Amino acid sequence: MSTRAALRVALVTLLLLLAQTTVILWIRFHGLHPDIVWLLPITAALLDGPETGALVGFGSGLAFDLVLPTPLGLGALVGCLLGYAVGMSTAAVDRRAAWLKPVAALIGCVGADMLFAVLGAIFGQQQMVQVDFLSLFVVVAVSSVILVFPVSRLMRWALQTEGDRRALVSAHSPEGGRW
Amino acid sequence: MPRSRRSRRTLTLVVLVVLSLSIISLDLNGRTHSITSGVKSVANGVYSPLRNTVVDVLSPIGDFFAGAVHYRSLQSENQQLQAIVGQLREKADEKQFENVELRNLMALQNLRFLDALPTVTAETQEINASNFTLTITIDKGRADGVDVGMAVVGAGGLVGQIIQSFHHTAVVRLITDGQSKVGVTFGPADDLTGTVDGQGPGSPMTADLVPTHTPLHKGEPMYTSSLDGAAFPRGIPVARVKEFHAAAGATQETVTVTPIANLTQLAYVDVVIWEPPA
Repeated sequence: MSTRAALRVALVTLLLLLAQTTVILWIRFHGLHPDIVWLLPITAALLDGPETGALVGFGSGLAFDLVLPTPLGLGALVGCLLGYAVGMSTAAVDRRAAWLKPVAALIGCVGADMLFAVLGAIFGQQQMVQVDFLSLFVVVAVSSVILVFPVSRLMRWALQTEGDRRALVSAHSPEGGRW
Repeated sequence: MPRSRRSRRTLTLVVLVVLSLSIISLDLNGRTHSITSGVKSVANGVYSPLRNTVVDVLSPIGDFFAGAVHYRSLQSENQQLQAIVGQLREKADEKQFENVELRNLMALQNLRFLDALPTVTAETQEINASNFTLTITIDKGRADGVDVGMAVVGAGGLVGQIIQSFHHTAVVRLITDGQSKVGVTFGPADDLTGTVDGQGPGSPMTADLVPTHTPLHKGEPMYTSSLDGAAFPRGIPVARVKEFHAAAGATQETVTVTPIANLTQLAYVDVVIWEPPA
């Protein structure tokens, strides 16, 4: 990942962090709200493979850890494992398949929340396994399937290389015959 | 796939996992917690103004969709009234506690009641920011004298305890959170003790360490402990007994309690500027 791409990923992470701690907190079902942080490593892994997924998962998880009252580093740990797992498990799949994003988001987000709670309990935060998991999984599954598409667009913009950008510009320029 | 590329991926993951585990260890270790706490404090100092700006921008839109032109002001007024009702209820419960003390001819001059302690009023910024903890974030922090361990009261009784304090914000663990334990005293002579434990979202709180055959009655209030070394100032209403029974052969009563504070009305809370004696 280039420095520019890393900066753009940081910007997207900040945007999602602001959304998570404002708008997303207003959307509640049984007192539970969507967790959009996991969509960052999932979309990064689908777009650029397991290594990028792990790096984005680590960075975004750590950013969320800094502003949430959970152990620092726990989100980073789950994020990097999630990004790597999604990247590896979809390596043999056609990544343009329409069903891939929602399925990866659903399984990835539910699995990440479960891992987050279990690891939290292992690290002494027993209250993390005392949530209503059924309601949590419903909320997280539905919201992640919907929100994976806009997040994926943001991540695509963040991870595009200069070559991609030039190709996009030329394709939309008059010389490219698209105007 | 080239072997070197696979090795690099694996190495990246291993490095990230080790780094994460190291950060977690630093955070959970009592001796190094101040380092991670400092980092979190700096991050919150930078992030909070950004978040508040976004809330200021988006709130009117949210209010619009809520369907009422004056929804925001009415909601704020309602929350302030609820806070006042809560404070009055809290005072009434404290009076009851005071009467118990008087009846037992205790030396009142040696007691520390909440109304004799300084408090800092704070507005709640976030409720349950994580799905896995029952916390609120308030708009007062170390700059206002708010520190880790201080009690937070409001809406009729004890709300929780400060677990993280940053420059201008602080995080309060609610008494219903699974990690919360509050030492309490109760009974007509205020000589019975126990601990009120949070059980997480959706589960009723329990009172533990209450021996069998302890005289209990439904609705009985429990107050923060008057024992030496207690984590809270004494006499703050915590919970009321809801149900109790003793299983055959048990050494403890199974006691279910409900919080006295209305934890659904936490727009404003008071932080009690009190630290346990060393």
